[in-house]
Amino acid sequence: MLDRLEKIRQEGLEKIEEAASVESLQEVRRELTGKKGQLTDVLKSLKTLEPDMKRQVGMKANEIKEFFSEKIKEREEEIVASESALDEEIDLTLPGNAPQGGALHPITQMCYDLNDAFLSLGFEVFSEDDISSEKFAFDNLNFAMDHPARATMDTYWIEGTENLSGNERLCLRPHLTGGSVRYLMKHGAPARFVYPGRVFRNENTDARHERAFFQYEALIVDKDLSFSSGKVMIQTILEKVFGRKINVRMREGFFPFTEPGYEIDMECLVCGGKGCRVCNGNGWIEVMPGGVIHPNVLRAAGLDPDVYSGFYTNIGLDRLVMMRYGVDDVRLFHSADLRFLRQFK
Amino acid sequence: MKVSLNWVKKYVQLSEDLTNEQLAYDLTMRTVEVENVESSADKFKNIVVGVIRSVEPHPDADRLRVCMVDVGDGEDKQIVCGGSNLYEGEKVVVSKPGAMVYWHGEGEPVAIKETKMRGVKSYGMICGATEVYLEDYYPPSDEREIVDLGDTDCYPGENLAEVIGMDDTILEIDNKSLTNRPDLWGHYGIARELAAIYKVPLKPLSQEKPDPSLPGYQVDIQVPDKCRRFAAIVIDGVDSRPSPNWMKTAVTNGGMRPINAIVDITNYIMMAVGQPTHGYDFSHVEDHIIVRNAKPGEKLILLDQSDLDLTESDLVICDVEEPISLAGIRGGRKDSILPDTRKIVLELANFSAETIRKTGKRFDQKTDASIRYEKGIDTQRVDQGISLAMELFREIFPESRILAYGDTYPVKTEQSVIQVDRGLLDRRLGKVFPDAEIEDTLTRLGYDVQWNEKGFLATAPTWRSTGDVSMWDDVMGDLARIWSFESFEATPLPVNFENAVHQPVQDLDRKLREHLAFRCGFNEIFTYPWVEEKYIDAAGIDKTDAVRLATPPAPDMVNLRQSLVPGMLESVMKNLRYFEDFKLFEMAQVYHKGEYHESTEEETLPVQKLTLCGAVVGKDGKNDFFDAKGAVESLARYCQMEPLTLKQVEKPSWADEKVYLNILRGKKVIGALGLVSVQAMNAAGIKRTNMAVFELDETALEPLASRDNKFEHLPLYPEVDEDLSILVDEGIKWADIAEAIKHHCKDLRFVEEYRGQQVPEGKKSVTLSLTIGSDKGTMDSKAIDKRMNKIIKTLENKVGAELREG
Repeated sequence: MLDRLEKIRQEGLEKIEEAASVESLQEVRRELTGKKGQLTDVLKSLKTLEPDMKRQVGMKANEIKEFFSEKIKEREEEIVASESALDEEIDLTLPGNAPQGGALHPITQMCYDLNDAFLSLGFEVFSEDDISSEKFAFDNLNFAMDHPARATMDTYWIEGTENLSGNERLCLRPHLTGGSVRYLMKHGAPARFVYPGRVFRNENTDARHERAFFQYEALIVDKDLSFSSGKVMIQTILEKVFGRKINVRMREGFFPFTEPGYEIDMECLVCGGKGCRVCNGNGWIEVMPGGVIHPNVLRAAGLDPDVYSGFYTNIGLDRLVMMRYGVDDVRLFHSADLRFLRQFK
Repeated sequence: MKVSLNWVKKYVQLSEDLTNEQLAYDLTMRTVEVENVESSADKFKNIVVGVIRSVEPHPDADRLRVCMVDVGDGEDKQIVCGGSNLYEGEKVVVSKPGAMVYWHGEGEPVAIKETKMRGVKSYGMICGATEVYLEDYYPPSDEREIVDLGDTDCYPGENLAEVIGMDDTILEIDNKSLTNRPDLWGHYGIARELAAIYKVPLKPLSQEKPDPSLPGYQVDIQVPDKCRRFAAIVIDGVDSRPSPNWMKTAVTNGGMRPINAIVDITNYIMMAVGQPTHGYDFSHVEDHIIVRNAKPGEKLILLDQSDLDLTESDLVICDVEEPISLAGIRGGRKDSILPDTRKIVLELANFSAETIRKTGKRFDQKTDASIRYEKGIDTQRVDQGISLAMELFREIFPESRILAYGDTYPVKTEQSVIQVDRGLLDRRLGKVFPDAEIEDTLTRLGYDVQWNEKGFLATAPTWRSTGDVSMWDDVMGDLARIWSFESFEATPLPVNFENAVHQPVQDLDRKLREHLAFRCGFNEIFTYPWVEEKYIDAAGIDKTDAVRLATPPAPDMVNLRQSLVPGMLESVMKNLRYFEDFKLFEMAQVYHKGEYHESTEEETLPVQKLTLCGAVVGKDGKNDFFDAKGAVESLARYCQMEPLTLKQVEKPSWADEKVYLNILRGKKVIGALGLVSVQAMNAAGIKRTNMAVFELDETALEPLASRDNKFEHLPLYPEVDEDLSILVDEGIKWADIAEAIKHHCKDLRFVEEYRGQQVPEGKKSVTLSLTIGSDKGTMDSKAIDKRMNKIIKTLENKVGAELREG
């Protein structure tokens, strides 16, 4: 009888170890220790045995039962640990399911990046109309009456108004600064706002020149604002765009609507300021104009230049996006070409 | 503009330690942009003076000679040369090995090497003028002639650049950065800036005037607003001789070509003090000079006998007979200095910027003189020119004398006098400078500074008073730039905690774009505001109220967009070459004729509306439409704005006969949604696909002040989902079904529509899924059955539905 038990134990252990799944292990459990199992058979036959033998066999049988239950538990853990949720073979190098997202235009992305930075500095975002009058586009901004930019060759005048002047001569805005006067007229001072928008110039297009392009203007007007506070705006723009501190320099420059005005150069990122072809060998790239808002412009906005002063800067978004990604043709921005646009997520 | 540093240094003494690079940087930061710094001596490297010690025939070549030449190296060098004018003791130009020369004056420069010519060793090359940039200095009479330095003061081995004064540095200045500074269009002006930047003395210009006892020369100015001054000096005893080398070098390094001494002197005066100067042959000028507007039909005859047609707005210099030059722009036949010229009339005049600009533009002529006049020159500068002219004629034509002098001077440039408030200056600069520093800087720039209670009275110099300096801000600008913008630390902006930025309209703009791009899968595009007529016509848009461009980019792009749909059609058409299924959107303004006042009553603008347009492209038109509809339906909820409704009111011109809806806010139609009609697609060249479009007036949208949805309690008791398939008449809409039973269920969803087998003609099968539940307790199966029966009954009664088997 004891031999039989030992045989059950040996064969049982083999079966447990052979079981390959949780289901087959359950099967083995029933076979070994279930109501109709082998061990139960043995225990059922105990009553026919000698008391001494009965005790010995009983102990042994119980011992084996425990042994089985322990081994089954171990084996079950082993099986679960090695089990996969999928029955099938799987090629892990297959591409994942792409999200079905679209994308904002790279110009819009740049614009929002800048908006976020300026919003954190308490600037408002401003926008206004594409079509303006000569009064706002030029007169208010202190442009000389015979300034070349007023010519048909440079500005898109609206048919029927091209020979009029001032309030009556209309154009697609050639820059944003005229609109800034509208903001100041409406909101007064102090003011701090950014003004992204599209502007239009009548010119021949090539990889570097466009008829419609994007500018980003930033303005502060306040009492006794010193022009050195305006430097913050410039740093904000460039650091936001390039993600790190960028060396800039401000040098003498002339614009009708600023006094003083300056050109802002940034260190050439291609050569790190050492001088290369991109920067014409001098280590600096001209990126934007800036300056103290001309008193005549403040007057046009109904503000007293003896009380208020302002700081202005305006950066070309197209150029900035081109520098950020290495885009080599400005005309792609208006191409609506998905092969281009889908590169910017 | 080119600036010779040697020339500048005649007027200002700069530190020995100052490098050219530093000087260029300082000038760029404070005054004008220096684009390039170049040594004019570089090209003369290894080109030196040689003295021929002997000339022997070449053993193997008749035209070649073998010379021994002293080039200052201690031992004479053997050089083979084919020059026609070689002789012992001749001072010549020798290119040593390494020199770059134009071989026979042609092609690209080549490097000289020690070589053998017909078997005879030759150390270098004895050069002709055209080979070594000397044709202006030693003009050759035949092509085999080599440069004979003759009595030029020089010694063997001396570098040629030094001999002719070419050991100079040239600054190339960006003319754009000079447009507002008429005072900088001459070397003296640049020297003045450097004197201010480096705080070194500026040499004053001489103030010589012709002897007042000289006979007068008559100049009549008929238009004093255009010609404010005209000085004429009659000089006898001149001729067309070439200038001395120093003058040739100065003129060359200033960016012009030497012509003859008289012309060179006039150009030198212009490049020195910025005063254009002009010489007329005295014998060509009948009687006296008249400055007037041209008469109708009048012509200016040019040297080549061709002529220019003049108009009444052109200012001309005339003698008693006819125009002899176009004022400030160009001369005519009569003003030319010719080989037989012996007596001249020198013009030093002041013309108004406007008149020169206008006439110059009409003739498309820009000259060195007109560029300067266009910037606006002060009348006092004529005095500087006169003094310099007297000095130069005395030096170059020692035998010349002034015969007569006239100076008609109707209008004088007034100096700008500006009160500067000291407190305001300090605040705006953000930094306080000592009085002495302010006074010193301004004085060096030519200002007169008088201190008073409030600050100081700054009297600008005449050369800055022609428009450049007129307000106190200009004075501040001068101070800030000379002290360098870089020297002002960036100060942080003052913080304002009163108002956080709250801009619901701007925010909505961004939410709409981001929702369409990020959640709905649209790609944002930008198109031009001018649209090709083909696409406007394709969209069936009436162009009568279109705003048009006076000078469009192309003849068929004269109309500015009234809708974003035509641009969308074009964009879709182009992308179909590469893609089948895609979604695009654009947000931009559209324009209509009309009257609209944005900022003032006086300014009337056309109507301009920010518009949002989207397109869904793909072969399954029904799917395209519902994708577009889904996007529009989701806008209000996701972008937090007042709700929109969709209803058929009026078909937009581009839409399909059946498949369109209008977009309404309240009762107002603000846009449309629909499939693009087959006709429009054909006209736009869009083939083998379908396309749904939505367009709406963004200005009619109303952002919510905040998110407005309320929290709903999670269900307290279990809810049950049930599906139903019903048969209804074709005429029954989903909206009717939903309306009928929405009050009986917690949620109701459309699953599908089916027509076909097992569905009788004129009917359709609709499958819907609904959620039922109770807030009072768990529904048991009896309660669920009861509710479902009620719903089925309601459907039977309200929409005539019958339950489908299975």
